Amino acid sequence: MTQPIFELENIYKRFGAVEALRGAHLRVRPGEIHGLVGENGAGKSTMIRIASGVFPPDAGILRISGKPIALTGPVHATACGIAVVHQEADLFPQLSVAENMLLRRGLIRNRYRLIDWRSTYAEAEREIGTFGESFDVRASAAGLSVARRMMAEIAAAVAQRTKVLFLDEPTSALTSHEIESLFTHIRRLREEGTAIVYVSHRLEEVLELCDRITVMRDGETVSEDSAAAFTMDSLVAAMIGRDSARPFEKPSLAKGGVRLRVEHLGDVAGAFRDVTFDVRAGEIFGIYGFVGAGRSELAQTLFGLRRAAQGEVLIDGVTVRVRSPQDAVAAGMAYLPEDRLVQGIFPTHPLRSNATVSVLKRLCTATWIHHARESALAARIIADTGVKADSMEQPMTTLSGGNQQKVVFGRWRAVDPKILILDEPTRGVDVSAKAELHRLITESAARGVAVVLISSELPEVAALSDRVLVMAEGKAVGIFKPGEHTEHDMAQAAVPKSPLSLAEQEREKKQRERKRSRAAVLMRARELGLLGFTLSLALVMAFLKPAEFANTRNLLDVLANAALPAIMAQGAMLVICAGGIDISVGSMMGLVGAIAALAAKAGVPPIVCLSLAIATGTALSLANAGTALLARIHPIIVTLAGISIYRGVMRIVTAGKEVLQLPDAYRALGLGNFLGVPKICWYAAGVTLAIHIFMRYTLSGRRVLALGNSARAAQLIGLSKIRLTMLTFGMSGALVGLTAVLHAGFYGNVQANTGEGWELRAIAAAVIGGTNILGGRGSAVGALLGACLTALLYNALILMRISSYWQNFFIGGLILLAVVADKLLHENLTEKSS
Amino acid sequence: MKRLLASREAILFLLLLVVYLGFAATVDGFSDWNNLLRRARYWVPAGLLALPMTFIMATAGIDLSVGSILALSGVVFGMLFNDVHLPIWLAGAVGVLVGGVCGMANGLVISRLGVPPLVTTLATMALFRGIAMGLSKARALADFPSDFLWIGQGSLLKFSGGKDVPFSIVFLLVAFIFAGIILRKTWMGRFTECIGENPIAARFAAIGVSRMYLALYTVCGIMCGIAALFHTALYATAKADTARGLELEVVACVVIGGTRISGGQGSIVGSLLGLFLIGILRHGLLLADVRAQYVIIAVGVLLVITAILNEWMTSRGRAKL
Repeated sequence: MTQPIFELENIYKRFGAVEALRGAHLRVRPGEIHGLVGENGAGKSTMIRIASGVFPPDAGILRISGKPIALTGPVHATACGIAVVHQEADLFPQLSVAENMLLRRGLIRNRYRLIDWRSTYAEAEREIGTFGESFDVRASAAGLSVARRMMAEIAAAVAQRTKVLFLDEPTSALTSHEIESLFTHIRRLREEGTAIVYVSHRLEEVLELCDRITVMRDGETVSEDSAAAFTMDSLVAAMIGRDSARPFEKPSLAKGGVRLRVEHLGDVAGAFRDVTFDVRAGEIFGIYGFVGAGRSELAQTLFGLRRAAQGEVLIDGVTVRVRSPQDAVAAGMAYLPEDRLVQGIFPTHPLRSNATVSVLKRLCTATWIHHARESALAARIIADTGVKADSMEQPMTTLSGGNQQKVVFGRWRAVDPKILILDEPTRGVDVSAKAELHRLITESAARGVAVVLISSELPEVAALSDRVLVMAEGKAVGIFKPGEHTEHDMAQAAVPKSPLSLAEQEREKKQRERKRSRAAVLMRARELGLLGFTLSLALVMAFLKPAEFANTRNLLDVLANAALPAIMAQGAMLVICAGGIDISVGSMMGLVGAIAALAAKAGVPPIVCLSLAIATGTALSLANAGTALLARIHPIIVTLAGISIYRGVMRIVTAGKEVLQLPDAYRALGLGNFLGVPKICWYAAGVTLAIHIFMRYTLSGRRVLALGNSARAAQLIGLSKIRLTMLTFGMSGALVGLTAVLHAGFYGNVQANTGEGWELRAIAAAVIGGTNILGGRGSAVGALLGACLTALLYNALILMRISSYWQNFFIGGLILLAVVADKLLHENLTEKSS
Repeated sequence: MKRLLASREAILFLLLLVVYLGFAATVDGFSDWNNLLRRARYWVPAGLLALPMTFIMATAGIDLSVGSILALSGVVFGMLFNDVHLPIWLAGAVGVLVGGVCGMANGLVISRLGVPPLVTTLATMALFRGIAMGLSKARALADFPSDFLWIGQGSLLKFSGGKDVPFSIVFLLVAFIFAGIILRKTWMGRFTECIGENPIAARFAAIGVSRMYLALYTVCGIMCGIAALFHTALYATAKADTARGLELEVVACVVIGGTRISGGQGSIVGSLLGLFLIGILRHGLLLADVRAQYVIIAVGVLLVITAILNEWMTSRGRAKL
C-alpha cells in the first residue's frame, strides 16, 4: 500500500452552533481517483475548503506526503500542489479564459516585465491542447460553456504541477459527450500520477470512475474502501445510514380534499420542467432530491419569487396567478426559505419584528402599527413555537440557529396559510430544535394545512411525509409512499442520470452558445461602436456646419477641450475598475492647482511645482482610500466629505482669491502647441497610452480588474484588496495633480470654483467609455473616446446655437444612457449563461 | 441594540448642548434666540430633505440629485408664476409635481432596471440641473408676492419685544414629527428598515421591495419640490444654480444623526439633531468670525468622524451580541 500523498486526519470544524465536521478523515494516494460522496450537509464542501486553505480546521491534522502542514491560505495550498476546480468555474467572468487560467500563477511576461499576451495565449492554448481540446482562450470566461471553463480550469491546475486535484461536482452541467471526454482526461491524469478527489452526487459515475471511495455522513467519515467493494446499494446505504431509526412518529391524520394542485409547472431558467402533483389539506407532502434537482426553484416559483414559464397552479380548485410573494401570501401560501441567514432573518432587528414581519400589515389600522397587538402576537409566536429567548426585544443574532428558525417558522404560521411550503426546515439546527420543528410541522398539518416539506434529509422526509415526490435534475421522478417504498428506493430514484437525449442536449447547448457569442460580440463592439458614434456625430456636424465645424481650428479646439477631462477620466476609470469611486476629484483638482500655482508664483521652478502637485494629489487620494478602508465605510461618504474639505482648504490656501498672473514658464507646461497640436492633447495621449499599458500589460493592472470582477475570488487567489485599492486611488490622485497643473497653465489662472463638476466629467467619460460602474471592466481608450464624445457634443451644441445651459442635461443623459445600456447588455449576457 | 441607539441619540443631544453652551459662553450675540431663529430658517430646506434621505439611507440607498431637483422645481415654479402668470398656488403645485416626477424617474431606474442608486442619482444630478439651467437660461426669477415669501421668512406668532416664531421652522418640526411617526410607528417605516437590513429576506418575507424603492424616491422628489417652495421664499428668488452641494449637507445630517450607511436602521430624531448640530456649528463659527472655509471643512470632518463612529459602534455592538 503506497503512502497517502494527502491526508486529512480527525478534522473538526464548527460554524456557530453547527458542527459541520466531527472527526472526519480523508486519505488520498498518488495516482488514484478518490470518490467523496455523502448527502447534502454531510460535510464534503467543508472538507474541500479546509483542504484548499480557505479556512483552518478547529482540530485535526493535514498531511502532504506524510508531513503535517498548517495551510496559511489558498495561495499556500496552491504552492503545496493542491488545486480545486469548482462547479461554477468562472472566477473572473469579465476576464479572458487564458487569464483565468494563468492569473493565479502569474501571466507570462517579457524582459520588460510586461505581459506577453501572445505567449500567454499560446501557453493557455498549449495547456488546453494537451487535453485534446481547442477553443478561443481570448474569449471572456463568461461567454464560454461551463464544460469548457471546467476543462480550462483543470488544464490550468494540471499545468501548475498539481499533486492533488479536487473536482467539485464537475459533471452537473455537462452533457454526456462532455462527461466522457472529461473522464478520459481524468484517467490520463491518474496515469501521470496525479491524485484526484472526485466529489459527486452521481453515484453511477463515482462507481465507474473511482478507485477508492470515502463516504461521509453528518460530518463524519463513515466508510472508506476500494470502489470495487461497493455496490450501488451499499453506497446508498452508507450515505443515508442503515440504522437510522425513525426518531419521530407521525400521527395518522384524516385527509381533506385537494388543496394545492400543480400541473406541468416549469420555470423560465429551466431549473425544473413539467412537474405535476397535488397536496391535500392536512397532508404532509415531501419533496426529496439532491442539490440541483430543482426543489427550491420549484418552491420559489410557487411562491412568486421566480417566473414560471409553463404550467398551472390551482388552490382549492381555482387557478391562481402568482407574480410576487405578496400574491402568494394573498392566495394563502407561506414559504419558509432554505437559507435562513440570507433569505430569512433581519439580523440586528429585534425578535419581535422578525416574528411579525409577514403579518404586520394585518396588525395595522391605516398603516399604524398597534404596538400592543404586535407584542401580543410576538408573544404568542414565541410561546407556540417554543422559542427560547430572554426578551422579544433582543436582536435576532443573539438567538441560536434553531431558535431563529423557529421564529421564521412562527412568522409564517402566523399568516394562517392554507399551504405551508417548508424548504429545509431543520438544516443546521440542533437535535432538540429539530424535534420541536417536527412537532410544529405535524401540528400544522393536523390543523388542516397542506404542508409541502422539502428536505435533503431522507429519514426526515420519509418519517414525516404521507407521500414523497422525488426529483432529479429538474424532473419529477416519481411519487413514493413511505409505507410502501423504502428509503432506499427513494434515494436511488434521486440519483441523477442523464436527463435528456443526447441530441436534445446538444441542441440546447448550441442555442445557448450562439446567444452567448452574440452577447460577447456586442461587448467587444463597444469601443468600436463608441468610435463610430463619435465619428458619425462629427460627420453630421461637418455636413450641417461645414464652415464652422470642419476646420482645423475648431477640431483642435474640440481635442483641447477633451484632453484634460480625458486625463481625469483615466483616474476615475482605474478607481471604478477596482470597485471604488472618488467624487472628490474636482475639489481636489482645485486645491492641488492652487497650491502648485502659489508655489510657482513664489518662484519655485515649474517642474518642481508639477512634482509637488502630483505628490499632493496622490497623498490626498491615498488619504481618501485609507480612511474608507480603515473605517470600512463606503468611499462615497469619505469622498463626499472630501468635496467640502478640499474646497475649504483651497479657500484658506488662496485666502479666497483667484490665483492670477502665473509665471510664463509655469504656464508653458500646459499652454502652447507641439507639432501644431495643443500640448495638453499630447499629455492626454501619453497618459492614455500609459494607462492602457498598465491595464493591459502589467500584472498589477490585471489584478485591479480581477479585484473589481470578484473581490471574493480575488481573495481566494491571494490578491490584496487594500494594496490594489490604494494603488488605483494613488494613480488617480497623481493624474488629478497633473490635470490641475495643466489646467492652470492652459487657462492662466486658478479660480475659487476651479474643478467644480469635474468629478462628474471624469466619471461620465469613464462610464461612457465602457467602464462597468460596478467594477471589473474598463478601458483607457474607451475613457479617452468618452471624453472626446462629450467634448464633441459640447462643441456641436454651441455650433447649433443650443444654449450652453443644456450641457449638464446632455452629460447627465449620456451617463444614464451608458449605464442603462451597460446594465441591459450585461443582463443579456448573464441571463444567457444561466 | 435599542439602548445603544437611544444612547447614540443621547450622546448627540449632549454634544449639541455642549456646542451650544460653548458658543453661548464665548461668542457675543450667539445666545440671542431671535437671531438664532432667524438663522434657523435657512436650515429648513436641508431639514425637509433630510427626512426622505433618512428613509432612503435606511434602505442602504442614497439620493445625490436632491439639490438639482430642488433647483428644477424652483425654476419651474418661478417661470410658471413669472412668465406664464399662473396663479401662485397652481404654479407651486406644478413645481412640487415636477419634483415628484423627477423622483419617480430615479425610482424607476433604480427599482426596475436595477442600476445602483449612487450612479443613477449622480447622473440625474447633472440631468435635472441641466434641465433647470436650460429652461431658465440661468435667469434669477424674482418678483414673488410677499404673501408667498411669508412661508419662508414670515412668523406665525409675534410676541412683544421682537420675539417671533417662524412659520417655516414650525412646519419643519411638524414634518419631522410626522416622519418620525412614519418611520417608527407604521409598517412603511418598518419595511424600509427591513429592506435595508436584508433586501433578500425582505423579498422572501413578502415585502414589495421594488414598490417601496419607487415610493421612497418619488416621495423624496415631492419633498424636494416642497423644499423648493421654502427655498424660493427664503431667498425671494428661484435660480437654476441654487442649492449646489445641498446633497452633501443633507447626507451629512443623516449620517451624523446615526442612520447606518449600510442600511437597516434610521433615526429621524438623529437627523434632526444632526441638522441642528451642523446649523449651530455654522452659525456659531460665523458669528465668531471664523471664515466660511473653515466651517465647510468642519462639516466635512464631522461627517467622516461620525461615519467612522457609526460603523465602529455597530460593529462593536454586533461583536458584543
